[in-house]
Amino acid sequence: MALAIASASTFVLAHHEPLAKFDDKKPVRIRGVVTLVDWRNPHAHVFVNVAGTERVSNWAVELESPIDLEASGWARTDLRPGDKVAVEGIAARDGSRQIWAKSVVNAAGHELFAVHNTPPPMPLKDHPAPTWPDGQPRLGSSTGSGGEQGYWAFPSVRALVENGVNAPMDEWGLLKNIADAPKVAPMQPWALQLYKERQQRFLRDDPMYLNCKPPGGPRQFQLHGVQFVEDRVRQRIFVLIGSGNNNYRIIYTDGRSHEGQVGGDDMNPLFYGRAVGKWENGTLVVDTRGFNEDFWFTNGGLPHTDQLKLIERISRPNFDTLKYDLTVDDPGAYTRSWQATWTLRWVGGTQMPRHICQENRS
Amino acid sequence: MKRLVLALLAVCLLAVPAIAQEGFPLKGSWLGTWTGNKIHGNDVLLVLGWDGKNITGDINPGTDNIKVKNASLNPDGWVVHIEADAKDKAGQPLTYTIDGKIENLPLANRVVTGTWKDSRGNTGPFKIGRQ
Repeated sequence: MALAIASASTFVLAHHEPLAKFDDKKPVRIRGVVTLVDWRNPHAHVFVNVAGTERVSNWAVELESPIDLEASGWARTDLRPGDKVAVEGIAARDGSRQIWAKSVVNAAGHELFAVHNTPPPMPLKDHPAPTWPDGQPRLGSSTGSGGEQGYWAFPSVRALVENGVNAPMDEWGLLKNIADAPKVAPMQPWALQLYKERQQRFLRDDPMYLNCKPPGGPRQFQLHGVQFVEDRVRQRIFVLIGSGNNNYRIIYTDGRSHEGQVGGDDMNPLFYGRAVGKWENGTLVVDTRGFNEDFWFTNGGLPHTDQLKLIERISRPNFDTLKYDLTVDDPGAYTRSWQATWTLRWVGGTQMPRHICQENRS
Repeated sequence: MKRLVLALLAVCLLAVPAIAQEGFPLKGSWLGTWTGNKIHGNDVLLVLGWDGKNITGDINPGTDNIKVKNASLNPDGWVVHIEADAKDKAGQPLTYTIDGKIENLPLANRVVTGTWKDSRGNTGPFKIGRQ
């Protein structure tokens, strides 16, 4: 089973940007004997003794997270101390004996630990979005006859980029070509320079990974998944976030203003801001403001200030698709307001994976 | 008295762990020294803001209350320039000019290092750290 998955998939990146630590221009191959399998978040490691001309050296082979490895059918016992392996990957930037594995092959010639991370296939025919008795679309899981538990993931765009812009980047938001930086969004000069420097440091300063800072703003919709819990009685929607510090965000739909949402300190800027929402023709329109400046609001490190205001239009055009339309208005960092749009896929019948920062030791 | 207030303020600020500020790089509270300043003392506190177009702020708020008159941040090298009009103990005006550069920009403990000078020809090293 695992081998079948491995043969049909490729290694994908998860958790921190591997290029922050490893250099994709330094390919490396080793052969040796496994001494230890360290199956812990945020990344599993296999330690390998490699015989040299004069002495044996021990290498650390870094893999995906155990969460992703296990989701692809792998287990810590698939490789044991004493097994022979051949590893291909890229070397650590600092010259230490560490490899980001692109291929791990055992003595039998079987490739191990490839991660299968693709969205579920779309049905041949669209299914209608589930609705509440009054006809309002349900954004979250539904119960009862025909209901299904699940979550939203696999965003069609993995980093915030203005609509219509072609600026290729990896799933972490790292640009393939730094010359594309000015195209990504209409940044003020200071914001552009800061963005470029974050990119040139391979996103290694990302506070979400360094300090478990929450993925406020649109970033929560471009990571490992979100769930909506719609509390219609209390008129609020909880957005549960399957990454970062596994936090949640509240969107109030009871008509309150942005002020006074935090008892005792209602002007204190927040990681998730203050969100108020209302339904307009089947679309949840969310106005969020009051963000602090202690986090990155997007993969890739676009800057923001506490003047950030977001308008999110969230709709469910069919059962399997969530549409996310965003307007960014931050006169502190950008020269004009701008828009970005992407979709997420429904992943039904399963729990949202919990990439918890605390447990991930990052 | 002013030195005591500044010292107490410094203790309070230093007691708070540095938090990375990921927005406009100059925004926030900065504590440090303008060495050799005989008029306003060696210790200096800057509280700077950013409205999207202009850098605003105060030097030694609560004691000297020197308003920042003009300030700029050139992202090409993160070069800082600050001008502020002050008064000496006799109430006579003088103007401070601070030129420096942000170092350790991606880190919580970023600093601005450079020089200060006043309109009377006094000058010296300037160094402040983000609190």
